[in-house]
Amino acid sequence: MASSSGKSAEGRSEAASGLLLVSPTLIYAVLLLAAPLVTVLIYSLSLEGGGFGFDNYVTAWSDRINQLLIIRSLTVSLSVTLVTVLLAYPVAYFVSFYVKPERKSLWLFLITIPFWTSYLIRVFLWKVILGFNGVINSGLMSIGIIDEPLQAINYNVPALVMTLAHAYAPFAILPIFVALEKIDRSFLEAGRDLGESQLMTFFRVTLPLSMPGVIAAVLIVFIPTVGDYVTPDLIGGGKLPMIANRIEGTLLKQNNRELGSAIAVGAMIVVAVVSIVFLLLNRRFLKGAK
Amino acid sequence: MTTKDAMIEFRDVHKYYGDYHALRGITATIRPGEFFSLLGPSGCGKTTLLRTIAGFEDISSGAVLVDGRDMAGVPANKRPTNMVFQSYAIFPHLSVEENVGFGLRRDPRSKDEKARAVAEALEMVGLKGYGKRAAHALSGGQRQRVALARALILKPKVLLLDEPLSALDKKMREQMQVELIRLQRQVGITFILVTHDQEEALVMSDRIAVMFEGEIAQLADPETLYRRPNSRKVADFIGTMNFLPARVLEENAGAVEIEAAGFGRIHVDASQVMGGATAEGATVGFRPETLTILYEGSAATDRESMATIEEVVYFGDMTYYDVKIDGTETPVRISMRNVFGRPVLDRGARARVGWSPGALVLFR
Ligand SMILES: Nc1ncnc2c1ncn2[C@@H]1O[C@H](COP(=O)(O)OP(=O)(O)OP(=O)(O)O)[C@@H](O)[C@H]1O
Ligand SMILES: [Mg+2]
Repeated sequence: MASSSGKSAEGRSEAASGLLLVSPTLIYAVLLLAAPLVTVLIYSLSLEGGGFGFDNYVTAWSDRINQLLIIRSLTVSLSVTLVTVLLAYPVAYFVSFYVKPERKSLWLFLITIPFWTSYLIRVFLWKVILGFNGVINSGLMSIGIIDEPLQAINYNVPALVMTLAHAYAPFAILPIFVALEKIDRSFLEAGRDLGESQLMTFFRVTLPLSMPGVIAAVLIVFIPTVGDYVTPDLIGGGKLPMIANRIEGTLLKQNNRELGSAIAVGAMIVVAVVSIVFLLLNRRFLKGAK
Repeated sequence: MTTKDAMIEFRDVHKYYGDYHALRGITATIRPGEFFSLLGPSGCGKTTLLRTIAGFEDISSGAVLVDGRDMAGVPANKRPTNMVFQSYAIFPHLSVEENVGFGLRRDPRSKDEKARAVAEALEMVGLKGYGKRAAHALSGGQRQRVALARALILKPKVLLLDEPLSALDKKMREQMQVELIRLQRQVGITFILVTHDQEEALVMSDRIAVMFEGEIAQLADPETLYRRPNSRKVADFIGTMNFLPARVLEENAGAVEIEAAGFGRIHVDASQVMGGATAEGATVGFRPETLTILYEGSAATDRESMATIEEVVYFGDMTYYDVKIDGTETPVRISMRNVFGRPVLDRGARARVGWSPGALVLFR
């Protein structure tokens, strides 16, 4: 009896010290993550005349502009994700498989160099390159290939995608690199040994085993780019708003917190659904790899 | 040698890793249907040599032939060999049957026939009914069986095994040794086993190549290797051998007369004379079981010496005695089977030690 009560007291004090340990994290999580989320949720459900309901959601999502903007946001972010991951995979593969072990950290270090300048500066840089009077246009004009600035490379979705893909490339390279590093090289030799060429070994062994890294990269790029509003503003010159610009406008400029919150929560749900689809696809893919 | 007697042929194979000379002129022949072992201490180049057959390692000079065909420039996926990896390399994203069927993708047989082949391969290695299991839900021994089935289903000419048993516990290892021998006899494929465990090599192999520092020191069947090691180094690596200094008195067409302290004058037949002496000069070598302690009424042996027992190590079925033969400095080890009714002697006791000149080897 005595020993069992002693044990439970010990357990309690252990739990208490555990709580104490996590409490800063817990406070942080509640204050900075849960609290704002709950606030937004409450706003989105509050009705003008008091009480709660889904009226704001109906208003927000029956608006044609909001529908168009969320579709544009998804198009842009899915394109960015596709471009980024497709470009990041070979880089990660190269560093993992072809760079000598003692050089790998140097390569990773080099890959992070673009992060040494702020995101805003990098976006402006792209503006300098792609802009109306930018490097490409004035260059082409000075050698006489074109007479007036190309509109095609400015203020459009491809320009947005290019800028964002550049910004998120390292975020995509790192998780894929880690996943590739974790693959035991004897798996690849086994693939060759069992009669598959290097290419088929890649598709049947390397790629499926690196899928967790690819999915991590997809989510890391997709989620923040859906909600990006700086890049559309600067690169799109205000002509290519995405859903986040709309939320900003509704919340701040129109000061309509209820409607803005409803758009925000709706966008969040869309992102969550797409992310879950990615995760499920990954599971299917891993199972289906034959 | 015609290709008919050679499944694998190494012709003066050299391999450099940068400046490091890992394989130093390997020349050897492995026969079809043979259970062949590469035995040697860590770092001697066993794995490297095995991987030159599989095609994972390019050689710097020389040639490797499989079934009469030079393998230079033939990629790993086009070679008639399959490998069981030390880590087994069972694909974690595939089930057991998907692993076993991995190499059948280009096989022209129908899906049903392939499924039957997979089931048969699993049955052969004692994993009937395990096909649907996830690869990560297997024990070490089961993984090894999957690796065997995955390689054997492709009916290779040669199966390469890199220390396949080293990750298993002792009991499991002994069981798998027996199963591997059975499997090899059943399928009749040439097996090449890499191991650093001399006992394992002796138990399993038809022939063994003992390697040191990138060279084959001796290539022979287990009995020859054990009874007639061609150097002190090989003798030391395989089992236990007692060494005593000797003096060569006269030489006659390969046979020699020697004098060894404690043993007197011995006539040594030419077949017992080996090279590989050390700086100390000529040495005679005895296995512990070739010396016997003579009890009253024991059958007489060719020769006898008197000795004092210095140490007694009791093993249940065996007793090891370290004895000092009169007139010698270093004790020698004798192993005796504990036959019923035969007392275990005490330390310090005097004993008669019986031996036979035919059982010794001379290194000079
Ligand atoms: N890729 C490599 N680069 C440089 N040296 C290597 C490489 N692979 C092996 N070596 C060296 O070649 C020698 C032989 O290696 P190998 O793996 O064949 O030894 P082993 O006999 O299989 O040893 P073990 O029993 O420890 O597995 C070792 O000294 C090793 O350090
Ligand atoms: Mg090895």
